[in-house]
Amino acid sequence: VISQPAKILNFLRKQKYNADYELSAKQGADTLAYIALLEEKLLPALLHTFWVEAENYCSVTKPWFASRIAFPLSLYLPGKMSREALNRILLTRGGPPLYSLTEVEAQIYRDAKECLNLLSKRLGTSQFFFGDTPTTLDAFVFGFLAPIYKVCFPRVQLQEHLKQLPNLCRFCDDILTCYFRLTVSGHSPGGQDMADANLQKLTQLVNKESNLIEKMDDNLRKSPQHPPRKLTTLKLAAGGEESPLNRLSP
Amino acid sequence: AEPWPENAALYQQLKEEQILLSDNASSLAVQAFLQMCNLPIRVVCRANAEYMSPSGKVPFIHVGNQVVSELGPIVQFVKAKGHSLSDGLDEVQKAEMKAYMELVNNMLLTAELYLQWCDDVTVEEITHPRYGSPYPWPLNRILSYQKQWEVRRKMKAIGWAGKTLEQVLEDVDQCCQALSQRLGTQPYFFNKQPTELDALVFGHLFTILTTQLTTDELSEKVKNYSNLTAFCRRIEQQYFEGHDKD
Repeated sequence: VISQPAKILNFLRKQKYNADYELSAKQGADTLAYIALLEEKLLPALLHTFWVEAENYCSVTKPWFASRIAFPLSLYLPGKMSREALNRILLTRGGPPLYSLTEVEAQIYRDAKECLNLLSKRLGTSQFFFGDTPTTLDAFVFGFLAPIYKVCFPRVQLQEHLKQLPNLCRFCDDILTCYFRLTVSGHSPGGQDMADANLQKLTQLVNKESNLIEKMDDNLRKSPQHPPRKLTTLKLAAGGEESPLNRLSP
Repeated sequence: AEPWPENAALYQQLKEEQILLSDNASSLAVQAFLQMCNLPIRVVCRANAEYMSPSGKVPFIHVGNQVVSELGPIVQFVKAKGHSLSDGLDEVQKAEMKAYMELVNNMLLTAELYLQWCDDVTVEEITHPRYGSPYPWPLNRILSYQKQWEVRRKMKAIGWAGKTLEQVLEDVDQCCQALSQRLGTQPYFFNKQPTELDALVFGHLFTILTTQLTTDELSEKVKNYSNLTAFCRRIEQQYFEGHDKD
């Protein structure tokens, strides 16, 4: 996961087209910095909400993932991902003076809330982070925020905090309506199944970022090189396992 | 708030024989920050500084009857005493500053740790001899191996264990390029006044440029960006001239 910033800046420098066509060098650097901030401050809390928090894990995440993975892997894989998430949280954030899991949890949620506040201040009133057209940073932030915003968990302190930041909610809704053909309430033409499949893809975004960015990279290399159109709507195939961002290129 | 006492001290490991690249960088960053705030501090070297620290990491400062470790908490502590470098920044700039500080911690510090503890050549020739040097055998080997095991576990958890040295150096290059592009032709990252970001970047880059390692590849990556080397020289001249070069 940490290799993402490198791949992204590489992508920005070598391609210089597509989503980051109009970014200056400084904005490219800012992208890298904000991604590092997200990974350091927001990712632990996100991992915790999805994979470690017992109620959330048992009632939502595990059945969701298990339902899409073939038996018998479905018995083993969610548990493994949960253990890895906890491991990562404890190793990166769990040193002294935080000695118990509850203290670590309190700290990571504090950091995540601060991170959300910082993002909100940075976004301000603009539509996207660098003006009127979406860029890699917008995709990244959306990948982190959308699962928090949309997935219905029993324990939702992060979601509640996010809802208090109206510009971030508006940002997520904009991208959802424009690129995912969902209405804000979450019901799509394909019905509740499609909404579930879409939400699951968003969750996979958090866990499979590297695949995502590589596919985007390939796709955009193959596409004709020209500046992006503003906010085209796209069709989503139902039930496909590919990531939604794959479809951003013409 | 209480005034800053005269006998404030910063603790780190022994400078000549023991301290490693990453700890030296962190310590230098804190020293630069305190110099920029005009707060006098003396550097005390102790072999067991790591164990004395409340969070297990160096450096830590002992001010009055309080002990605070690591740059983040020290910045907060100093702010509570009424000194701050980032008050003049607006909200968006503060967000940017925090993001860039995370970038440095995420990439540069992790790369330094990787180089010292996961690259076998460096580990054998530099890290192991230095880390345990104040202690007799077999304690020195045991402590080194224990620390190495701990760092490697962490690297594995964040996905760096699978990286090769070339990939790590590539990451350092990306990070330096981002910093260089952000700095541009300005004297400091937020134009006229230095902030904690400048202190942090200085700490890491200066240490990388001046530490003798088995290869020069790491410092070469930084030297590619002339505005970064000029930045380091400027801060060194302004804040460290006439003091001991720590």
